[in-house]
Amino acid sequence: MDQRWRPTVNEREFIEQALQSDLRVDGRRPFDFRKLTISFGREDGSAEVLLGETCVMGYVTAQLVPPYKDRPNEGTLAIFTEFSPMADPAFEPGRPGEAAIELGRVIDRGLRWSPDGCLAVVFLFVRELEVWSLIRIHFWSVRRESRAVDMESLCVVAGKHVWAVRVDLHILDNGGNLTDAANIAALAALSTFRRPECTVGGDDGQQVTVHDPEVMDPLPLTIHHLPIAVTFAYFGDGNIMVIDPTYKEEAVMGGRMTATINSNGDVCAIQKAGGEGVMSSVIMQCLRIASVKAADITSKIKTKVDKYTTEKALQKVKRTPAIVAKEVNVPDVTMKESTHSAMENQTSKAPNDGQQISEGDENHQNTKMISTLTADRTVKHKQTPTSVGGPSNWDPYSKGVSLSSLRISRLPDPPAVANDEKHEDAEPMLTESNPEVKSVSNSGSAGESDEVKESRSPESLVDAVKPKHKRKKKQHGKS
Amino acid sequence: MLVFFWQYVPSVEDTVLGIVVDTKPDNFLVDIKGPNLAFLPVLSFEGGTRRNIPKFEIGTLIYARVVKANSIMNPELSCMDASGKAAEFGQLKSGYTFETSTGLARMLLSSPTCPLLEALGKKLSFEIAVGLNGRVWVNAPSPSNVIVVSSAIKESESYSRLQQKSMVEKLLAKLS
Repeated sequence: MDQRWRPTVNEREFIEQALQSDLRVDGRRPFDFRKLTISFGREDGSAEVLLGETCVMGYVTAQLVPPYKDRPNEGTLAIFTEFSPMADPAFEPGRPGEAAIELGRVIDRGLRWSPDGCLAVVFLFVRELEVWSLIRIHFWSVRRESRAVDMESLCVVAGKHVWAVRVDLHILDNGGNLTDAANIAALAALSTFRRPECTVGGDDGQQVTVHDPEVMDPLPLTIHHLPIAVTFAYFGDGNIMVIDPTYKEEAVMGGRMTATINSNGDVCAIQKAGGEGVMSSVIMQCLRIASVKAADITSKIKTKVDKYTTEKALQKVKRTPAIVAKEVNVPDVTMKESTHSAMENQTSKAPNDGQQISEGDENHQNTKMISTLTADRTVKHKQTPTSVGGPSNWDPYSKGVSLSSLRISRLPDPPAVANDEKHEDAEPMLTESNPEVKSVSNSGSAGESDEVKESRSPESLVDAVKPKHKRKKKQHGKS
Repeated sequence: MLVFFWQYVPSVEDTVLGIVVDTKPDNFLVDIKGPNLAFLPVLSFEGGTRRNIPKFEIGTLIYARVVKANSIMNPELSCMDASGKAAEFGQLKSGYTFETSTGLARMLLSSPTCPLLEALGKKLSFEIAVGLNGRVWVNAPSPSNVIVVSSAIKESESYSRLQQKSMVEKLLAKLS
């Protein structure tokens, strides 16, 4: 009781007075959101949102359960909110209070309901004002209920097994406007969540096997649209409104309204629980502003989620060295292709070239000068029989670094000097690849191949000298 | 969220800014950001008698002096100085309040005047009351001045004296 924050009469009066001149205490304008930061955890489906000083963490999990009797082929989505006492001394541990339940319901409604459900409410307002064209609200007349998260895709065996998705929202810091921040956290977490792949089989076709994420890639949820909650706080006689109230503004406001809108302009939910009465014209104006803000926030969420997903995909790829060789070297290969258009004609000779390249590498013992590119290739070739999946059967170098074209351009008598060719062919690749690939070093494999090469250095010292001359010539030739 | 770990330990002769939480027959209960609520006797005002007890509603901001403070009892305040004069103690009207750390409050009250307030005072006109318990009151004719001053002070929580000066100069340059 002693530790609560109490507003003073001065603050109350000042906040309202400042709003008369469109000034907010933290320097924002009335319809500005605070700075939004979304960060993701290590696991799929965990997101932390920082909206100014408000911090909310969302965490998504799923498990297989029997469905509800009246919806046998739909999964379920449940939102749980936890108002941690570390967020605000006013929060008590234990059962969720009124505010927590209300928050959960607002977010749940936004994710679950379709725009159709809110059409009736909106029709009423629009008819009053006779301004049909002002608001971009889509009328989904013929559609079935479209929810933000597709429930039917969560069905595994109709009537027996469905996925129950559970979103846990933890309030870590209450800086005002928990609804919006929690909503964004839920959306970010749902967008990055991956549920395990499962197959149905067995004798009766009812046996469900859930696959480990290491074995089969988990799947994302099907999300049709992102419903964004935008909260307005009312001051004065209900004629001054601001977006995204802070903790102090919430303590001083007369009433609040949350509008959940997606970037298409569909109103997914409106929540106004008590507080001062407001005119319907004010509400319509709020909806208009909210749809603009919703579009902005949707794009922010999407950029962050996409960035995270691509980073994760890249990380996953890097785990397997064979695939690294392919991934790392492909851009270099394409660069070479652009500079040597003649190479594209040599695809038929690809496999042979590949073999010759590898032999050439083993003979060349310029340990420092040999690029990691070629090192990767040798490692890759050694690993070819053991690697899993499609990519290992394809040799990227076959196309990109076709030696036969170089052979044609540089050497007059290809058949005469069979062995030398192999060395020489390998050299231009070295020269080209050296500047490009030095930055992309795979130190592990380079170390390995270095050792192999060092053992053979004595026999190829003469050859080691040759490439320098050839290299210079080649460079002159190129330029 | 407002930072609740900026707690204040009451000590005698400190000047603090308190918020009235409750009214009792003999005392006002005042929150001074300490572990306990403080008592402000209804008669501790200049010329205070049973007839002219001030009427403070809940949420009134008071500038007072700590008279008694120990770990056992609730601290006691007074709105008079040692000689019984008002000396600017009492209710503060209008303006804006915000919380700071006790360290920043001490810095603001240091003499000579800290560079932050000096730089602000050169360009803007405002009046300010600082409580050693980490509460500040700012008032100015225009709301924008108040917001600028309060933002500048809040920002300077972790700045050194030199940094404060440059921060304020940048802020003022941005405004003009």
